[in-house]
Amino acid sequence: MTVLSGASDLASVKAAVRHRHARRGGRAYVVLRWAAAGIFAAILTGLVVSIAIDSSQAIAHSGIGFLWSGTWNPTANQFGAGILVVGTVVTTLVAMVIVVPIGLGTAAFLSELAPRWLASPLSTAIDLLAAVPSIVVGLWALLVLSPMFANHLEPFLKSVPVLEWFFHGPAYGPSILLASVVLSVMTLPTVVALSRTALSGVALADREAAMALGATHWQVVREVVFPGARSGIAASLTLAVGRALGESIAVAMVIGNSPSVPHSLLSPGATLGSAIVNQFAEAEPGIGTSSVIALAGVLLVLTLLVNAGGQALLRGMGPGRLRRRERHSITQVVA
Amino acid sequence: MIGAAPAQWRGEEAASSGDWEARERRRPVIQASARRSLGRRRRAGRFVQVLCVLATAIGLAPIVALVYYTAERGLGGLSWSFLTHAPVPEGIPGGGISTAIVGTGEIVGLALLMAVPVGLMTALFLHERRGRLAAAIRFGADLLTGVPSIVIGIFAYALLVRPLHHFSDLAAAFALAVLMVPIMIRADEEAMGAVAVDLWEAGVALGARRWRVARSVVLRGAFPGLVTGNLLAVSRGVGETAPLLFTVAAPSFAMTLLIYTEGTQPFPSEQQTAWSTALLLLLFVLVLSGIARLVAWRLTRRAR
Repeated sequence: MTVLSGASDLASVKAAVRHRHARRGGRAYVVLRWAAAGIFAAILTGLVVSIAIDSSQAIAHSGIGFLWSGTWNPTANQFGAGILVVGTVVTTLVAMVIVVPIGLGTAAFLSELAPRWLASPLSTAIDLLAAVPSIVVGLWALLVLSPMFANHLEPFLKSVPVLEWFFHGPAYGPSILLASVVLSVMTLPTVVALSRTALSGVALADREAAMALGATHWQVVREVVFPGARSGIAASLTLAVGRALGESIAVAMVIGNSPSVPHSLLSPGATLGSAIVNQFAEAEPGIGTSSVIALAGVLLVLTLLVNAGGQALLRGMGPGRLRRRERHSITQVVA
Repeated sequence: MIGAAPAQWRGEEAASSGDWEARERRRPVIQASARRSLGRRRRAGRFVQVLCVLATAIGLAPIVALVYYTAERGLGGLSWSFLTHAPVPEGIPGGGISTAIVGTGEIVGLALLMAVPVGLMTALFLHERRGRLAAAIRFGADLLTGVPSIVIGIFAYALLVRPLHHFSDLAAAFALAVLMVPIMIRADEEAMGAVAVDLWEAGVALGARRWRVARSVVLRGAFPGLVTGNLLAVSRGVGETAPLLFTVAAPSFAMTLLIYTEGTQPFPSEQQTAWSTALLLLLFVLVLSGIARLVAWRLTRRAR
């Protein structure tokens, strides 16, 4: 029965096949493929190395305290990323506070509650939000939302008894709050698309089992669907955090750009991204530029860590849980 | 927690008529309790349903508001001369954004020339190879997708602007290409994976060259998916601002930069230019991703 009776036969067949491929396999094609993969790997390495070189110059100048020092004063040659890191983390956190309930509620509605004829156009609409360039979101936030916030929303928030602790000081419009709202708008499609996919990936049999036990629709969603989609939801939130940390231009337009310790969500602030946008053109060649690039280095490390976590979670969802078409749509939206 | 059953429900089948009578007496009590429980659980469900509808309404508000305001404020400034005339200094009437449209076209075109071949060949590499190297490249592509665009802009500056001492479309295109390549790789590979493996095996078994199989089987079969993925990558690249900040010579040479500089001015005429450019950009990006979705939709419908 077996044609290849021994290891030596197998080896000779393999050698013949290899020889044949070498002759007829299209060397150019193989070389091109390797070249492309090599170019890509070189870009990745180049990105990290080039940012690391400049960052190390900045850290050689300012010391390791660059990472937490709170002063950013280019005229005095004092550089520190501390306040900017705080600003980045605060805006991202507030954005998450806004986007998590809205995003998960929307995902639950689209995946579990809405009839199909309604869910599919609404999902497309939310996905289209991901396609809107960040500069357009920034323009809208600066010229439409900002006056609206300064005149209506922010005075209202200051009048609410408990919330006023977060919202005091004058209401200009451009503020940490507005930047967080912009970030929540930009991360919403990521959260909705990935969570929705994770929710609808929960097996029908699991739902039916819960229904057979007498669970109502909402109980099925809460007890079976959400726990089953846990890792997918966690991945969506992590990737959203990654996006929020790295957004620069739209934030730079609305945060007011004042690198000082924020004492209220209504006060202007600055993030790593917004500081790079604003400081780079004015930076002195040499140590000034290197310090700004070091900010990019800090941002790179932050986002790489968060995204590596998100990717690990996404992989944890397992290929079996998601049908190919769904994975396809994930890569499109995450992109 | 799904409603916990009271202990008496779990009794075995009644053994004697006495048990049966006792159960008959309890029946109304049990039924009332079950009805109350179901009512409570249904009310909770309805409450959450309302919350979810509310969340969806809030979630849809930004896209509606964005499109509405951009159209409302941008439409007034759109005209043929706006598209075909170069920008003029502040205070002089007239002028348009022709240089920005051409500039964006050039930068994106150049970026595509760099990104599409690298993305396609790397995807073929990943498609035909397994193992650690492929896994590492795939992971690298996923990570690069998450790298902030401003960091990529800084990279292009450090690599192509600072050493050459001048800003250039080439550096901008390189930045956009770095941004688009990982998206293309993953989308291309995903599209190639959708082509049946036995077709590929059949091609190889016929003794066809690898390139011939890749061209006639993999690339042909994956074509609609490739179009979709690459179009989405383009629509992402067109709308990027941050990578161009440190690479393009002047704001009037790219649409997104023009929106940034004009939109942050306090003058109404500048803001008008920004809105109109934003509307143009938004239309282009939405049409592009609309086409991409249409291709993807036709693809899945045919597969069914």
